[in-house]
Amino acid sequence: MAHITINQYLQQINQAIENHEGSFCAELLSFKHPHVANPRLQLASPEEKCQQILEPPYDEMVAAHLRCTYAVANHDFVEAYKFQTLVVQSFLRAFQSHKEENWALPVMSAVTLDLRIFANNAEQQLQKKGKGQPGEMLEKAAEQLMSCFRVCASDNRAGIDDSKKWGMMFLSNQLFKIYFKINKLHLCKPLIRAIDSSNLKNEYSPAQKVTYKYYVGRKAMFDSDFKTAEELLSFAFDRCHRSSQKNKRMILIYLLPVKMLLGHMPTHQLLRKYDLIQFADVTKAVSEGNLLLLNEALSKHETFFIRCGIFLILEKLKIITYRNLFKKVYLLLKTHQLPLDAFLVALRMMQVEDVDIDEVQCLLANLIYMGHIKGYISHQHQKLVVSKQNPFPPLSSVS
Amino acid sequence: ELNCELRASCQTMCPAQELRNRESQNRLHCFEVVPGTESFRKPKGDPLRAVKEYSRPAAGKDVTKPSCLRPPDVLLKTVCYLIDEIAGSTSLHPWTEVYSFVFDRLRSVKQDMIIQRLSGKDCVAILEPTVRFHIYASYRLCGEPLRIYDPRINDTHLQEYLSWLFDCYKTGSGPYPNQEEFQTLGLLYNLGSSPAAQDILELPERLRQTPSLKLALAINRAFLEGNHVHLLRLVQKLDFLQACALHRHLVTCRRHLLLIYCHGYHSRNCRFPLDRLAQLLSLEPSLTAELCQVYGIEVNQHNQVLFSKSAFTEPEQGSLDCKLYHSITHLKVVGDRPSRP
Repeated sequence: MAHITINQYLQQINQAIENHEGSFCAELLSFKHPHVANPRLQLASPEEKCQQILEPPYDEMVAAHLRCTYAVANHDFVEAYKFQTLVVQSFLRAFQSHKEENWALPVMSAVTLDLRIFANNAEQQLQKKGKGQPGEMLEKAAEQLMSCFRVCASDNRAGIDDSKKWGMMFLSNQLFKIYFKINKLHLCKPLIRAIDSSNLKNEYSPAQKVTYKYYVGRKAMFDSDFKTAEELLSFAFDRCHRSSQKNKRMILIYLLPVKMLLGHMPTHQLLRKYDLIQFADVTKAVSEGNLLLLNEALSKHETFFIRCGIFLILEKLKIITYRNLFKKVYLLLKTHQLPLDAFLVALRMMQVEDVDIDEVQCLLANLIYMGHIKGYISHQHQKLVVSKQNPFPPLSSVS
Repeated sequence: ELNCELRASCQTMCPAQELRNRESQNRLHCFEVVPGTESFRKPKGDPLRAVKEYSRPAAGKDVTKPSCLRPPDVLLKTVCYLIDEIAGSTSLHPWTEVYSFVFDRLRSVKQDMIIQRLSGKDCVAILEPTVRFHIYASYRLCGEPLRIYDPRINDTHLQEYLSWLFDCYKTGSGPYPNQEEFQTLGLLYNLGSSPAAQDILELPERLRQTPSLKLALAINRAFLEGNHVHLLRLVQKLDFLQACALHRHLVTCRRHLLLIYCHGYHSRNCRFPLDRLAQLLSLEPSLTAELCQVYGIEVNQHNQVLFSKSAFTEPEQGSLDCKLYHSITHLKVVGDRPSRP
């Protein structure tokens, strides 16, 4: 592959196209394949040669691909991105003309993947020079991917085996990666809706499903739909292959806060296995109702939590921590009429600054409203009166 | 950086050609005419007070003519004029008219900026006073009838300006001495929004540790934790413009406080002192009693609030006027003028 001539290369692609060999064709257009390092193929003007051997629009597609290899060899990712855009555009024209056949799906996967990667690299290059708006190129790449998605989603005529719909989940996953990077999560919705209403929804490959549920789970977290988030992220974690330690860890980073909000603390063993000790102090603090330790833990690993985008969700654990602390007060005093002062003392011991009896009442009222405490506050007696039955319902039962 | 091929040569706030056109068509705004000529059949345009107006993009319209485009230094002068002499004037009335004029002329400034692909320090210098204006307006005109002032339109434009400004801070080389002020205003305006908070968290440490950002983050945290007693206390520490930015969230905070107290104090014998509640809500007792009424909560003749879960009802459409309760008079008017470059 590293030594073939341009003519040999073009002949191979042409044959692959004529014989509908999707996977082989994809390799010849993918930057994961060694042919891209072949200097004989890195031509600045390959158009004529391509036109001689290939039919339109394949001639344009391959010419743009070869121009792209030239650009990449020169480390010019802005140029590379430009040409990859042409590759995807020409590909899409060809793809749309394939009536009731989907042999080119592997090609679509390869060229769209490279498009996203080059968009990333190009933006990084521009940032270094102080040019370009962040996210601009990725958004344009996303528009192209959406065009591909629409072609796949609207393939209603072909039978299941020849349907282009099989490409929908791969494209969704690519698009999710972009939308999460540029922080435009609301754009995920139409994709999720399309996949949800498709009859292929459960038939995609396990790997694709894991990635899909990972992103949809993260979106659910963002929308504060923690029960759904737990379902999806648990699925992704359980089905993610044992060998992908890195991926399992990534899923866990998001699954852990959700589980903690629902009252399930991870074991220290699990944290050690996946190198997530940052959560250890957080877990300890929350289960003990130790606000001081929680604040310290969040502060200590702030950079990590912020980078992963879970800092704000972890802060929600404060409410759970208050609940656990107040439950301890109840268990200590062994009465159903608890003086508000007792809670104030508990908070002051946790070095919560500036807190006074008014704030204690507010915190208690909020916990009652959320269903974490069954009871009422008596202002006249300055007491919290709790139910004799199950005054602190288990966290998992409170939505 | 300017697109070098695109020149902007208009040195006045309003291009000469436009001034002539609008003068002859009698389409000058009353703020733009030579004083004394207002009642003429065709009032005379004052080149020192006329400002290029916003014009809808249309096919065939050439917006790039150099003589009609104002370069960055003229744009900045224009914005300062609009904010200091028009928005900040004590003699121009009514303020809704002032707002309409300034809003439109700022929009035209934005157009010139976009056509010239302005970025960096030039952009920031123009966007900052613009943001201040829109934030002040959101407070000043709160409660005005919809046909005169639409808070959603003000909001749309303000969000765009904020977003653009923050992009400039992120991609530019700085330094930006006002960044702390504006990141704070952005967070307060968008209180409770995860993206806004996440943006702040991703700022460098030295910025996050500044007093105003720490305060804004603490207020945001209190908001998300539902600790509105703490929140309303922290709000007392805001300066005037910061309070303007935050004010529209006061309704939400107070509503939530009343709601959780209806649940938390729900009992037959509940007698919560109105004065205490007034303190917690940062409102006069009389206003507090009115607010309770709006939410269906009973206040008896001994000035005691009878919280009850079943009593709380959402107010009828239009019966809750933010303006009645959003007064920030405890704060001194610090002044909303942009600092001169």
